[in-house]
Amino acid sequence: MANLKSIKSKILSYKKTGTVTHAMEAVSAVKMRKGQERALSGRAYAAAALSVMERLSGTADLSRHSLMQEREGKIALIVITSDKGLAGSLNSGVVRKAEREAGISKDKTIVFAIGRRGGEYFSSRGYDVRMRLQNVSDSVSESDMREVTDKVLELHEAGEITKCAVVYQNFISTFEQEPTVRNIIPVRPEAMRKVVEGIRPAKGKYAPQKGGEKVHAPASYTVEPDTDSVLSVLLPKLINIAVFHALLENKASEHSARMVAMKSATDKAKEMAHNLTRTFNKVRQAAITREVSEITSGIEAMK
Amino acid sequence: MSATFQLVVSSVGETYFDGQAISATFPGSAGEMTVLAHHEPLITTLKEGIVTVRTLEGVKEFPVRNGILECADNRAVVLL
Repeated sequence: MANLKSIKSKILSYKKTGTVTHAMEAVSAVKMRKGQERALSGRAYAAAALSVMERLSGTADLSRHSLMQEREGKIALIVITSDKGLAGSLNSGVVRKAEREAGISKDKTIVFAIGRRGGEYFSSRGYDVRMRLQNVSDSVSESDMREVTDKVLELHEAGEITKCAVVYQNFISTFEQEPTVRNIIPVRPEAMRKVVEGIRPAKGKYAPQKGGEKVHAPASYTVEPDTDSVLSVLLPKLINIAVFHALLENKASEHSARMVAMKSATDKAKEMAHNLTRTFNKVRQAAITREVSEITSGIEAMK
Repeated sequence: MSATFQLVVSSVGETYFDGQAISATFPGSAGEMTVLAHHEPLITTLKEGIVTVRTLEGVKEFPVRNGILECADNRAVVLL
């Protein structure tokens, strides 16, 4: 039988761990709610930009623009992960999905890593990691993302890449996240629509109401100076929104995954403390019984 | 009362203006242009400059770096 003192210190340490994980759970819950609200704030803009593109597609043939052309070549993967761990299978899900997307051809992939985990994973495996961003704050703004998208667009312009996809953990609900790949270059109106529609989670407080907004386009637009130059302004904006939005989704996912992980850690700590308290009581009772029987047998002997 | 149209000026994180306007002057890439109510359907790019909005309450100005202007159905949307 273990001695009482060591059991007691064990119980204490479990309880302390439980308090810490409980606090982390509460912090993550607050961060998650904030993240969700931020993710929604960009929706109106994204919907407006998308509707301009959809209306343009009614007026002119869009597929001539270089950002919309399908070509063979290298792919840029923007991999979004968290900086810190303790968030369940969040990051492993993303890197696995990204790796599958890259296929076996490491030399045909250029990685842009946002978040420490993804950066470490891909650079240690010999991928061409062009950019590593770390410590991206929760209150990141859309213009901060330009650094990444500008670089991607630059590479695209130079012909080094022809495709670009962003890999992140999509936020479905507090308990459900899904590693997701979104192809953002070449730009496809349908794919962009999915991104914009996905800004609201499928379930919960922010779920979309039925019906939703529809685009009804007038027969023809006057486009000045020409479709190409409008697209050259519009498409980078849409691409930037898509990347920015993916980052916000990933943030919301990170915090909810961590919240759930911390909740189960707290529960487990409580359970362990409870079981150990049982053992503690048993050991203590056994010690008392032994002492009593020693005393009574001592009295018997003195008679 | 003069005719008005709905005008929205917004960037991703922020909406700078959302309401009724009498007229709005934009630094269009092909030269300065003013939009009044019931403008024909138009999509154009904006260059660096200042957007001047005249409303019933007064005049407002917003600086722009680049952006897109879309007019349709008596509604103008500026994406910065």
